[in-house]
Amino acid sequence: MKNLNELTLLEALEGLKRREFSSIDLTKSCLSRIKKIDKKIKAFVTITEEEALKSAAEADEVIGKEGAIIFETKPLLGIPYACKDNFSTKGIKTTASSNVLKNYVPPFESTVTRKLKEAGTVLLGKTNMDAFAHGSSTETSDFFETRNPWDLKKVPGGSSGGSAVAVSSDMCIFATGSETAGSIRGPAAWCGVTGLKPTYGRVSRYGVIAMASSTDSPGPIAKTVNDAAYILNIIAGKDPLDATSSPKQVINYLLKSEEFNLKGIRIGKPKSYFEIELEEGVREKVDEATEKLKSLGAEIVDIDLISPKYSIAVYTILQRSEVSSNLARLDGIRYGNDRTNFGFEAKKRIMLGTYSLSAGYYDAFYEKAQKVRTLIINDFNEAFKNVDVLAAPTMPCVALNLGESDKSAMFGELMDVLTEPSSVAGLPGVSIPCGLSSGMPVGIQFIGNHFDESKIIGVSKVFQENTNFCKLKPKI
Amino acid sequence: MAENIISKDEVEKIAELSNLDVNGQEDKLSKMLSETVKYVENLNELNTSNTPITYQVTGLTNVFQNAEGKSQTLTKKEALSNAKEEKDGLFSTKAVFDR
Repeated sequence: MKNLNELTLLEALEGLKRREFSSIDLTKSCLSRIKKIDKKIKAFVTITEEEALKSAAEADEVIGKEGAIIFETKPLLGIPYACKDNFSTKGIKTTASSNVLKNYVPPFESTVTRKLKEAGTVLLGKTNMDAFAHGSSTETSDFFETRNPWDLKKVPGGSSGGSAVAVSSDMCIFATGSETAGSIRGPAAWCGVTGLKPTYGRVSRYGVIAMASSTDSPGPIAKTVNDAAYILNIIAGKDPLDATSSPKQVINYLLKSEEFNLKGIRIGKPKSYFEIELEEGVREKVDEATEKLKSLGAEIVDIDLISPKYSIAVYTILQRSEVSSNLARLDGIRYGNDRTNFGFEAKKRIMLGTYSLSAGYYDAFYEKAQKVRTLIINDFNEAFKNVDVLAAPTMPCVALNLGESDKSAMFGELMDVLTEPSSVAGLPGVSIPCGLSSGMPVGIQFIGNHFDESKIIGVSKVFQENTNFCKLKPKI
Repeated sequence: MAENIISKDEVEKIAELSNLDVNGQEDKLSKMLSETVKYVENLNELNTSNTPITYQVTGLTNVFQNAEGKSQTLTKKEALSNAKEEKDGLFSTKAVFDR
């Protein structure tokens, strides 16, 4: 019998609906897990125990009064979750793990957390991240490092490291993350959980502390892809407060995935993604996973795509430039601390962005990058005429040891080489666990065409139903 | 070793433009920023002479707020809730102009 905190989202909802346990039981189970192990792992920046217990008690009262029917209007009622600390939460400290925003308490709510709140969730706390999401290891947090629960000497990945760790070690039922390029899929892969980065504009960015506005995409980190699909149903949609959010109608991703099967589905393996330096165990597990999908009815084809090395360059320029512009607002006058509080990583990024946007350099850098971005998008468009989804390793290796991210000026960009092309193109991607290499989780990612989340969810669902990798847990 | 693409002097200039204090970190930044600029130069291997610029990846253009739509704003109290200093219901800042 599982402990309550170990339940998947769909299992927890069933239990609450059948009154097998209460939201208070579920919430206390998560909180006691946090108390027991978070000292070692350090996934949380803020724990909102009091508010969580209050929301859980309110949820129980409503369930008691209205019965299971209430879940039709409040589809996440009583579910405890962890929130990355770059989502503005009204009245609750939101730091982006930075000293600049160390004491910042937002006077407004992000759209994602508002939707989750309206759906009835219980907020357990805010999770650690690379400061301002600048990194791929959660080591650039201005507060502390988060550890990988599979091996405490290793990093969890980033920037949504705290959220991935909280899900992986069952401190919550699900978590929110945000991805600019790899920040959901990367830590999900390294922690052995499911991370879904939706199409750019599918989920509102309103109230998410901006990193690179032209690629930032909030999304769920969960225990299964069905859970992630269920959460996406709730957080997706047009938001008048984010002009870049899409007016395209939201479909029921979970329902759609139930109808899905692999018959006639063509899965492309981009040759250039497998030609880069990959850890042997990663290559092996991903090849085994695509073989498994073949045996389940999919057709696997090798395809040509532009080398991902160009996406590293495009992404680096766009992201540094947009960072310099987004972080210019932090002056320490209206809110937050002054600019002497920026960490080295933030300074480095702001300065490169300032350089690449300055007169005389703009054409050579930002404009050139935006043009190559067009080439990358066209390249994907061609690929999707031929295949339904793309499959590749999420990360080139398994989680690295703490301290290794310091070695390169572009550590994050180099680690995220396989998620950057789809990020700069705004495509949806999902990373799911596909086995272990040297005892550490390996993630396989599926990338879909714009707004074609249902196909990558469908492929992942078939894989998870026919394998046990998403049930593997770290021993902590 | 080849000279850094972004010199120490340039680092100081960029820091000033960015309103950042990089005292003592100039050498490290000169090296790291140069390393990054050198890397991104690989984009020149691709011909983009006839390629349009992508401004918005999903193709949205001219998105305007509905004139009848409810606009959302903060109260004065909320807006000032994180201010370091306030005076007469306004943000207080250092003087910008010389007297």
